[in-house]
Amino acid sequence: MLILSRKPGESIIIDGHITVKIMRLEGDVVKVGIEAPVHVPVHRHEVYEEIQKNNQEALTQSEAKLPSLTAKAKPSKPRAVTAKKPLSHAH
Amino acid sequence: MNTLELMPTERRTTQKNNVIQLPYGLLGFERVKNYVLLTRPEEEPFMWFQMVGETKQSFLVVPPHFVLADYAPDLSELDVAFLDLNDPSEAFVLNIVTMRGKGEATVNLKGPIVINRRTLTGKQVIPVNAAEYAIRHPLPLS
Repeated sequence: MLILSRKPGESIIIDGHITVKIMRLEGDVVKVGIEAPVHVPVHRHEVYEEIQKNNQEALTQSEAKLPSLTAKAKPSKPRAVTAKKPLSHAH
Repeated sequence: MNTLELMPTERRTTQKNNVIQLPYGLLGFERVKNYVLLTRPEEEPFMWFQMVGETKQSFLVVPPHFVLADYAPDLSELDVAFLDLNDPSEAFVLNIVTMRGKGEATVNLKGPIVINRRTLTGKQVIPVNAAEYAIRHPLPLS
């Protein structure tokens, strides 16, 4: 791992188009400013760990029976552009 | 052209063209790359996203508009390119449900599975606007 020493106000440039700037220190918190093109996703690492953990909790045996929540979810009209059409069912 | 069709679980034979490929797997399950989507009429709108292979383990999933009407994950350009989505309507979105016991369940809205209906390639994405959504969104029970 490359380790660089930076002071508040100083920055690092990655691949010529991603800038990571140390904004300020607040106690043991470092405020970091990141400038990246829109196509570069920037997330806190915890988000990945959170989703990983959630996936592990969600894993079930396929024969598991659904609890009674099945009929209770209320369908609502889709608005999200990404989920317009219901799937057809194979017969 | 392959289209995404659901199979009743009674018909467990997985046809090749129904296999959904996740080249990156799911987070924490990176090595499992092939899944099928199984449905039982009495369980709608819930479906099972089942691993293809020796372990028949699966994830309970639900299309997000049953949970949150205005759910609109904003996909990064990289994910759109990776999934080869020419149009938003090509994207089929599923969210993983976690049963927490006592009939309680939560839905992960932060890391949806997005599948291209045309190519049957999918990815668990972290939308650009992931911060707006909960990883343990309570399932609305009436």
